Amino acid sequence: MNVVIDKRPIWVILLSRSLRPLFFVVVAIIFWYLVSIPTPDGLGLEGQRTIALFVVCLILWVSGVLPLAITSLLAIVMVPLLGVLDKKAAYALFGNEAVFFILGAFILSGAVMHSGLAGRTAVVIMSRFGETPKRLIASIFFLAAVLSFFMSEHAVAAMFFPIVLEIAKGLNLKPGKSVYAKSLFLALAWGCIIGGVATFLGGARVPLAVGMLKEATGINIGFFEYTAAAFPTVLIMLLIGYFMLTKFLPSDVEDIHKIKAVFERKIKELGKIGYAEYAVGVLMAVTIFLWLFLGRTIGIANIAIASVVVLFVFKLVRWKDIEEYVNWGIILMYGGAITLGAAMEKSGAAAWIANTVISEWARSPLIIIAILSLLTILLTEGMSNAAVIAILLPVGIGIAGKFNLDPRIITYTIAIPAGLAFCFPMSTPANAIAVSSGYVTARDMAKAGVLMMISAWVLFNITVFIYWPLIGIKI
Amino acid sequence: MSCVLLILSTSRTSQNAIEYAVDLAKKGKAKLVVLYIIETELTNEVFDKFTDIGFIGDKPSTQLTEAIMKEYRQRGYEEMGKVQIRAMEENVDFDAVTTQGDFVEKAIEVIDRYKVTTAVAIKRKRSAFLKYFSKSVVDELVEKAPCKVEVFEE
Repeated sequence: MNVVIDKRPIWVILLSRSLRPLFFVVVAIIFWYLVSIPTPDGLGLEGQRTIALFVVCLILWVSGVLPLAITSLLAIVMVPLLGVLDKKAAYALFGNEAVFFILGAFILSGAVMHSGLAGRTAVVIMSRFGETPKRLIASIFFLAAVLSFFMSEHAVAAMFFPIVLEIAKGLNLKPGKSVYAKSLFLALAWGCIIGGVATFLGGARVPLAVGMLKEATGINIGFFEYTAAAFPTVLIMLLIGYFMLTKFLPSDVEDIHKIKAVFERKIKELGKIGYAEYAVGVLMAVTIFLWLFLGRTIGIANIAIASVVVLFVFKLVRWKDIEEYVNWGIILMYGGAITLGAAMEKSGAAAWIANTVISEWARSPLIIIAILSLLTILLTEGMSNAAVIAILLPVGIGIAGKFNLDPRIITYTIAIPAGLAFCFPMSTPANAIAVSSGYVTARDMAKAGVLMMISAWVLFNITVFIYWPLIGIKI
Repeated sequence: MSCVLLILSTSRTSQNAIEYAVDLAKKGKAKLVVLYIIETELTNEVFDKFTDIGFIGDKPSTQLTEAIMKEYRQRGYEEMGKVQIRAMEENVDFDAVTTQGDFVEKAIEVIDRYKVTTAVAIKRKRSAFLKYFSKSVVDELVEKAPCKVEVFEE
């Protein structure tokens, strides 16, 4: 048996072993300090305690020392313990409509993946349109984006990865060296990221933001309403992304006929389209139609859950399949974030932060939007986009109150840029997948991603000032 | 008989290092051992990312990780195949080992097992900023290895 002796100095060993407990002690001291200092003017005791809890959650979400969902559970436990909300109210927020919409959307997305419908669509379209290097990039990029309009962008990235990998191998592209391979994997990641912000379905961050807004202010944002506000940013970012992929990463491959055989084999493997694929496709189409046009009257969560029931009525999936295709842990994250957001609003903490801290730099609504969107887009590069929303939106809603801004504007200002993380593998799973292929390095991603991030921020603000007033969103 | 170890990994391969190791083994009439280390940090990171913030469940996450690992293994076989061909061309005695896990730990394990006299490792070029803040695993290997380690920076 090999015995490995740690030869480092004893103080280094002790320090390395005590870092984690030390971190939690420091967090506890910060919390204790914030709750024990004299309550500032204009803030109640409950507000002060909520801010202390908010700071603790902020540290834990940013550092990632605890899983996101566990930090959220901590928030749910602490809100009643600190006397901010009573137990019943705090736990009831977990049953928020947004949480059930997210749950329903995850299950439907899982059903689409399990049925093989999404994979078939991808392979068939790529084989039909991807005849030249540029057209293949376009079909991966736009297809990943369009599929991310209707299902989780993470699911799309995971589903596309083996296909794109086979294409790269089929073309004998060299990992880390081939420019075309970099374009292929960046097309996959960027397509998912940009497409994922178009609707409520690409990621759970938008329903989370909408749920937090509704809990705090009673104002609702519909499926169609959100898509109308986000769509120009998505559309123009897709064009910018395609331009970057084809102009800044010029293809070093001329002939891609070799991959025809890859597609033919894949299509053969898939076999004939079956009942489950047809039925899941029709059900998804009907569900999206209902979300778009009857979401406000029926309720988007009701539609999502009813569609899930239909899946089982027609035996399109088994519960075991759904269990395997849904990340149940992450749902806890959303419930906790909504509870913390509501506590911030109800205790007056959000309004106090907006009045005292933010009013120093906030001079006009346009500056507020520019700064909040910049802060969001920078934070989302380094942490989970849902955590960015959980941190910024409660304060943002407070700012909206102070400046008489429509809180929906602030919600869009945070929810849309929160999804646009292009720079690092840690920013979002789609980026992590692309880098894990070995064809794109973290450095390539950062270089191209910075340009995409700057373009996204500038474009978003142009959209706010020019397009939003045209659809009735007055600033 | 002396032994030359060429250490390749998912992110560390170099044609120059292959040529050098084959040449070194030939000149020293030594056995050439190629170690290919499949680095699991990145796949673990992707899996953790999906578990922590991703929207999809265990099954697609596992399938994704398996697809990545399969790809890494195939790349390993291809790289080792290249070395084997060169070794055969030069009449050098050849052996290959594939493993996954910690770079330094696995390299030292093989160095001990084959009583390696010289190891050839490849170091990725890094920015001065990164060099200042973190040590390369290859530098760590140079410090800990019980044999001479020749480093190629690519």
